[in-house]
Amino acid sequence: MLLIPGLILSVIFLVLPLAIMVVVSLYTTAPSSTGYLPIFTVENYIAFFTSPQTSVLLFNTFSLAFIAAITCFIFGFPLAYFLTFHIKSATFKNYVITLLIVPFLIDWSIRTVAWIAILGKGGIINFSLMSLGLIKEPLEALLFSRNTLYIIWLQTYVVFMEFPIYLAMNRIDPDLISAAKVLKAPPLRVVYDIVFRLSLPGIMAGFIFVFVSTLGDFITPNLWAGGVQTLGFSISRYAANFLWPYASVLSTMLLIIALVIMYVAFKVVNIKKLFYE
Amino acid sequence: MKPKEVGIRVYVAALILLVYSPIVVMIVLSFNTSGRISFPMEGLTARWYNGVPTGYEYASYISAFYDWKFWIAFRNTVYVAVTAAILTLIIVTSVAMVLRHRIIGRDPLFYLILLGFVLPGVALGLGNNILFRMMNWEFTWWTAAILDTVYAVPFGLILMMARFDPDLVLYERAASVLRASPWVVFRKVTFPLIRWEVVAAGVFGFVLAWGELIRTSFVMRGTGVISTYISTELAINPVTPKWYAVGAIVTGISIVALIILGWVLSRGQR
Amino acid sequence: MKVLEAKNLTKWYGKEVLALNKVSFEVDEGDFFVLIGPSGCGKSTLLKVIAGLLDYEDGELYLKGTEVKEIPPHKRDISLMLENYALFPHMSVYDNIAFGLRMLAKDRSEIDKQVKESLKLVGMEGFERRSPLELSGGQRQRVALARAIVVNPSVLLLDEPLSHVDYRLQRKLMEELKLLHKRLGTTFILTTHVQEHGLSLAETLMVMNTGVIEQLGKPDDIYARPATVFAARFVGDINLFSGEVVGKRNGRYTVKTELGDLQASAEGDKDYSGHKLAYGVRPEAVLIGRDASQCENHIEAKSVSTYYFGNSVECLFEARGGLSVRVNMAPEAATLPTGGESVVGWYAKDAILIEKPSVIEGLNIEEVIYGK
Repeated sequence: MLLIPGLILSVIFLVLPLAIMVVVSLYTTAPSSTGYLPIFTVENYIAFFTSPQTSVLLFNTFSLAFIAAITCFIFGFPLAYFLTFHIKSATFKNYVITLLIVPFLIDWSIRTVAWIAILGKGGIINFSLMSLGLIKEPLEALLFSRNTLYIIWLQTYVVFMEFPIYLAMNRIDPDLISAAKVLKAPPLRVVYDIVFRLSLPGIMAGFIFVFVSTLGDFITPNLWAGGVQTLGFSISRYAANFLWPYASVLSTMLLIIALVIMYVAFKVVNIKKLFYE
Repeated sequence: MKPKEVGIRVYVAALILLVYSPIVVMIVLSFNTSGRISFPMEGLTARWYNGVPTGYEYASYISAFYDWKFWIAFRNTVYVAVTAAILTLIIVTSVAMVLRHRIIGRDPLFYLILLGFVLPGVALGLGNNILFRMMNWEFTWWTAAILDTVYAVPFGLILMMARFDPDLVLYERAASVLRASPWVVFRKVTFPLIRWEVVAAGVFGFVLAWGELIRTSFVMRGTGVISTYISTELAINPVTPKWYAVGAIVTGISIVALIILGWVLSRGQR
Repeated sequence: MKVLEAKNLTKWYGKEVLALNKVSFEVDEGDFFVLIGPSGCGKSTLLKVIAGLLDYEDGELYLKGTEVKEIPPHKRDISLMLENYALFPHMSVYDNIAFGLRMLAKDRSEIDKQVKESLKLVGMEGFERRSPLELSGGQRQRVALARAIVVNPSVLLLDEPLSHVDYRLQRKLMEELKLLHKRLGTTFILTTHVQEHGLSLAETLMVMNTGVIEQLGKPDDIYARPATVFAARFVGDINLFSGEVVGKRNGRYTVKTELGDLQASAEGDKDYSGHKLAYGVRPEAVLIGRDASQCENHIEAKSVSTYYFGNSVECLFEARGGLSVRVNMAPEAATLPTGGESVVGWYAKDAILIEKPSVIEGLNIEEVIYGK
């Protein structure tokens, strides 16, 4: 049947690897050729849960991703709102959307390195501020702090927050907004009661995407936030050292967090509506 | 224009500026004469792109054009991206053909495919890495291409399903009533109507594979793709405008691909 | 006291479309004011301007004495029921109706009481927990109505409330609207493009035509004495012929038309002698057969087609020169078979003389009567 290629892809390269990964997380670490022995044990999980690092790790990863998603929402929601309701010309809308997708395509390493030239001591922000005479010495805090992360992630992912929200907003019947206005709703309440609530599927979709993407991003926090430990980074390091079982434990935990978040979001909002019927 | 309208346009412009700032800075500084990537710029030169090496430079100072490792990575990236494009195209089309109809298991299947782009890349990368080691499969550009396809298929699928002409089923039925076999129906009726979306799916696959790092890093060896090449080199070399030149070239290709995508999509829209 | 006053209200869509052209009128408090006109005449636009959803470029608009240009819709003491109802799909019926009250920060028990009362008023008790998506068209309309009246506005605006309702329900709805109006005492402003609805519902009727007011007055006044050909045509059926007043004698005008010289009563101050104008007579005023011969105006004509309406019959007659005359009569009087010849006629007092083709300048009276 036609589904065979799709099924092969999904089952063999998506479901299977994840299943194997979970299995390996339960194997024993050993200095064998593969790095582990197929003997079931929970020692790695115990190590994970008892390590003092773990709670820091989980907390960091989770909070970073969450704040990143919120930041993208704070900037993305007004953007989607303006695009839907305040810009009439359809071609202009298309331009803006396409324009915003391009920067997503910058190679990761380049992207992170490019930010040095913006936020660093010799970067353009400090340069302009100093030339304008507003500050005497370059600001150090712009780089290597958590805020850097949020800025970078915002730049990368705001489109992915904005686009689903835009799609959802476009479907809102403008008469509903007129009705709300006439029913004595001040502008902010119109935005909340009507626009926000009716675009929730899009908001959720965007939120999940940004959240999960930043959850697994190990490059950016590593380079920028002064070594803030995140789950993703630990996974890559343990993998690089061939410590597969422990890496798998971390990865499984990551997976579980992602799945739980998605499940909750799906329950709250029906995202299917965004895609068909 | 009323102040509110001005404010809106300023906001949108500022956001676009933010989103483009790395690209702009990267391109501008790639022409810096000094080896530092900071402002103020000393002068303009194209040497980071195609300056002839004197034989003494090492990685960070060899111009992009003469950096053989860069070209290997570039070649690899092209292989990966093109393969990913073709695979994505095939899979998106075949799955979309089936998912159009309301069958049992339609939703679960859709969600399964969606997982490819929603689940953290790290997990998928790690899992596939372990799998390939178990199977003793080599890490080549095939493996990277497959992972990129898993990531790109949901995009293409959503796009294609959103663009389906609801009358398509009617046309197909009409054709099969006229004694056309399923393959002929596809070739003569379905495909002409969806070909631009099919191409778009392929371009999506290409574009997403072109700049991918996280998943790819788990399944490529050696010089790898451009993204892995850059990240490994930058870990041990200083940052110079040469890397910005590399980035500019790579991003430039992505932009071209995106423009093509835009063109294809507008062709698809009647 | 005038609850609404418009002076030279002008509104443009973009640079080219003039939706409202120096519209001026007043609405009395407690009136049932109906706006009728063909699609695109500006009545919906006018309603939205009054509600504050659209802005106007020139002119003044006063709501209870205050100029409203700077006042946003949520601060105006009006309520609007839209043509497609626009019920909030993500809220229950109760929440939909309570919405306005919540925005006005009423307290919970008060809201509860008023919502329940509103539902009772429109006959939808028990529907509080339902979702608008489950309701039929008629039910949705009632909820929309309840939602609009619960906030106790000074003026209730209704945009084409009878459009999406099937014929039998239209009558029922009209009666209910009339009853509601009596009970609440609120000023109603309603739009429709069906003139029968306008005639039945209105205490004051305003006829609009591409951004201008053709006529404003009591429905029976407009029907008996239309000010322009457009108004005559739009409100009720009418037979129209272009003509010139060639004589005046014994309180009657003689009007030369293609049908021949016709008589009309000369009343009022204005002297139409020598004027070119339109000569009209309503179908129900036209008689056939022996009754017709006794009228001052009678001509020979042949019955061309007959339409049976149950309680009346309409006959199309063709007179000399190919001109048609529509006659409306009771079924008992419709004894002439189609194709038969007869005399049709009417009394001079039933003739309607109209000088202006339309309020819109520059239109030729013959073009308006016979079409281009």
